[in-house]
Amino acid sequence: MRTSPVKLWRRQKDTIAVIGKTGKILLWTIIRVPAKTFTDQAPYPVVIVKMDDGKKMVGQLVDFAKENLITGQKVQAVLRRLKTEGQEDAIYYHIKFRPI
Amino acid sequence: MRIGILSEARAVRGPERSRGRMYSMKINILGTATTKFGELWDISPRELAREAMSGALRASGLRPSQIDALFVGNMLSGILGNQTNLASLIVEELGAQVPAFRIEGACASGGLALHNAINSLNAGKYKTVLVLGLEKMTDHSQDEITSALSAAGSDEERMSGLTFPGIYALMAKAYMQAYNVSEETLAAVSVKNHYHGSFNPKAQFQSIITVGDVMRSPKVADPLKLLDCSPVSDGASAVVITSDILIKSKNPVTIIASEVATDTLGLYTRKSFTSLSAVVTACQKAYQAAKIKPTDIDVAEIHDCFSISEAIAVEDLGFSKKGEGAKDIADGKTTLFKGKIICNPSGGLKACGHPVGATGIKQIVEITEQLRGTAGRRQVKGAKIGLTHNVGGSGAVAAIHILKGSAI
Repeated sequence: MRTSPVKLWRRQKDTIAVIGKTGKILLWTIIRVPAKTFTDQAPYPVVIVKMDDGKKMVGQLVDFAKENLITGQKVQAVLRRLKTEGQEDAIYYHIKFRPI
Repeated sequence: MRIGILSEARAVRGPERSRGRMYSMKINILGTATTKFGELWDISPRELAREAMSGALRASGLRPSQIDALFVGNMLSGILGNQTNLASLIVEELGAQVPAFRIEGACASGGLALHNAINSLNAGKYKTVLVLGLEKMTDHSQDEITSALSAAGSDEERMSGLTFPGIYALMAKAYMQAYNVSEETLAAVSVKNHYHGSFNPKAQFQSIITVGDVMRSPKVADPLKLLDCSPVSDGASAVVITSDILIKSKNPVTIIASEVATDTLGLYTRKSFTSLSAVVTACQKAYQAAKIKPTDIDVAEIHDCFSISEAIAVEDLGFSKKGEGAKDIADGKTTLFKGKIICNPSGGLKACGHPVGATGIKQIVEITEQLRGTAGRRQVKGAKIGLTHNVGGSGAVAAIHILKGSAI
């Protein structure tokens, strides 16, 4: 099913508030069998991050080297295109993390 | 009927007053049935439902007209089957146009359906009801199934590209790091469950596997490999339960506790990644209601959607000490013919199969057979008390049932 553009619009203020914030990787995995809209990105790592303000977040890790896949790795929240949309869909941008 | 709408002032008093009250359950299981679990391409959801329901009715010695209501546990009929009035569809197959309800709670849909059915009996609304768990999954491709199952997760987890195996993979990482457990030790869970499945003619997989087989299977989400994961399955299971003391059963099995608890939808915000608080809460309430200790359990059906799930479950249920669950399973402490509390004699989700909505009811079917002494080659000798552990999502909801036999 398509993601509603209204839903994207409603979420964007939460997304914007997180861009640039930093934290540390708590746990990581590599997804090798993805859901449909993520198939062209697999395999990709997903991390649970403890942000510097103590809040926990979850997201894809991007621009990484193998040695970045460790608990304690410092990361920063960045805005990225999320997944592959259908031709009629709004393009979906969301938070991912990159090692710093 | 006297049902009031509580004003604010009375709402404060209400829950406190009712907290200490303990209902005494007297609900008998009259009959059970389950279809074969597996890739049943030639069998439709209707046919699966019909087979399970007519089997359970036959086993109870009841006619459809003696059933007061139908409860259907199902997760995916809306998303995969494009059917969101499932209970009305299924009741056509029952042969009596009774009130029918579809209950959904991800992989715990079956357990939740039973819990709701029991509540309706305890409330005195119905006396004899049929509970069906049903799922048809293999009509669809792997990425469609992966997407549909991830609908049980939180938005944030889905947007991060996490899959259901991915969420449990994160738990496995946390568990392995915290307790210094190897992938090989976790693999022993699947090995044990395939061994049990080899004695179950209804199981999707009846083949024995080794730790090496698990280790060599392709990775799904590190550190979980294909053989750490339960399969995609079709199947249906049904039970007929009653509160009517006039209906006699030759070999009665009684449900002595039925508890449900919830936790946050997503895993990532939780305090602990190595324990499911919904399971801990529900089982503690259930033990209290049944007035038993974890060690009184002889046989349990565990929700092993992944190998890590069973390791964490035996700890949360109080069968193993914290951090020792995987090791205990690997040491055979829950294995048929040698363990003390036998876990997943059916083969569990891993080997028996996991048609998600059916699983919670299949667990009841298995424990009922075990307590009646009719489980054949996989019989747990002298089993008197059994437990079912049914979990939805990544532990967002858990349903625990405790059953007592009278055969011995």
